[in-house]
Amino acid sequence: MIDFEEELKKFHPSLEVEDAEEAIYNEDLTDMADILIKMVAKAKPEEE
Amino acid sequence: MICYNCGCRLSEHDFCTGCGVDVGLYKKIIYMSNRYYNDGLDKASVRDLSGAIVSLRQSLKFNKNNIDARNLLGLVYFEMGETVAALSEWVISKNLRPKKNIADDYIDMIQTNQSRLDAINQTIKKYNQALLYCYQDSQDLAVIQLKKVLSYNPKYVKAHQLLALLYINIEEWEKAHRELLKCSQIDTNNTTTLRYLKEVEHMLMPEEGEKATNKKKLFSDDVIRYQSGNETIIQPINMNERKGVTSLLNLGIGLIIGIAIAWFLILPAQIQNAKAGINSELRVVSEQSDAKTATIDELNQKVQSLTDTNATLKEELQSYQGTDGALKATDGLMMAVSTYLANPEDIETIALYMESLETEEGDNVTRTASFETLESSFLTLVSPRLATHYYDIGYASYRSDDYENAIPNLERAYRYDNTNGDALFYLGTSYRRTGDNAKAKEIYAQVIDDFPGTEKARNSETYLAEINNEN
Repeated sequence: MIDFEEELKKFHPSLEVEDAEEAIYNEDLTDMADILIKMVAKAKPEEE
Repeated sequence: MICYNCGCRLSEHDFCTGCGVDVGLYKKIIYMSNRYYNDGLDKASVRDLSGAIVSLRQSLKFNKNNIDARNLLGLVYFEMGETVAALSEWVISKNLRPKKNIADDYIDMIQTNQSRLDAINQTIKKYNQALLYCYQDSQDLAVIQLKKVLSYNPKYVKAHQLLALLYINIEEWEKAHRELLKCSQIDTNNTTTLRYLKEVEHMLMPEEGEKATNKKKLFSDDVIRYQSGNETIIQPINMNERKGVTSLLNLGIGLIIGIAIAWFLILPAQIQNAKAGINSELRVVSEQSDAKTATIDELNQKVQSLTDTNATLKEELQSYQGTDGALKATDGLMMAVSTYLANPEDIETIALYMESLETEEGDNVTRTASFETLESSFLTLVSPRLATHYYDIGYASYRSDDYENAIPNLERAYRYDNTNGDALFYLGTSYRRTGDNAKAKEIYAQVIDDFPGTEKARNSETYLAEINNEN
């Protein structure tokens, strides 16, 4: 049986056009490649 | 694939030929990203948009510079009605690769058409407003808003799902089912949609949920399910219908029902109609008969009237023609007078014409006053001569015992001359000798009365006594 209140909580307001700019700026674009590069960069000074 | 360190193009080795950095793991990350992209592309091609989003986001987590994945993700968002999310991805994509990027076209498609952009914005605002109504427990208003949203953007999956949820809450299962089907057409494998669908279908067909163990196989294998408008049609296949006896039985039952309907419903009505028709015809015939009867009566009356008129006219005609003797008498008198005027001595002819004036007993002859006057005047002139004429003939017949001839002449003689006692006496004797004693007695009595003291009277008394003695 579906609980209306519980299901309703899963619905969130959609971004409006005015909010798009802020959302784009706040977007975290870090990916695995970036993490790998950081890890490699971090490991290099330790080796040295 | 380029080196993350120096930007050289990588070879098949696990190290960069330019800077020598180890790129083995980096390559694997890129491969994983591509793999997820391919997976996302496959899912998007079969409209598993939710699954495609997951795969493409995973691809971008591995490699944010996977422009194809990002552009595809934007497309998937746009298809699901998440326009702003799509725009975000395309803008990011454009920033990561400013040239030769199809994201430019996508962004231009939306931003250049200002009215479309406004409409999109309004759609999102209304959706958010509807969601707010839901939080405020104003579900009717939320439904209205969501319907407006979907009229602007029919592919907005979240709006469909929220509307379906509202219908589920108010137990409008059919409407909820309709919305969820639209969702599934846009995004086939959306988890929320599938979950709601399961709930709705369970409510629409509850007996299948109770007998799930037995019927599940039936539904999965032996039925054809399809949507016909607002109804779900479930048609079992491979269902062997019992033929033979059942068909005959059904046919028989149908026949009996049909006959019963005809007998109780159709036949009485037809009989009634026939009766009404017959009654109307009977009425018409009766009216015609009455009219003809009236005509016949009228004609009979006319016939009777004409018959009476005919009889009256015949009587009048007869009176004019003299069948009662009046006209014959008038002619006789005229002829007698005419003969006398021509030859007064021709007494025989005159007597003959005068005999026509004589009427028999019982004749009802009507004579006019003029006729009576003429006759009386004429008899004054000819009576004595007529009396003598008839006496001579009568006496001669008496003497020759021709009593049949004597009687009428002697009667005429006495009539024209009532002083002639001899004629009367001989008349009585003639009656006596012919056996007519009654008449003889009458005549004798008249002789005695009219001529008393004469020999004729004495002889009459004698003969009268004889007759009485004989009786």
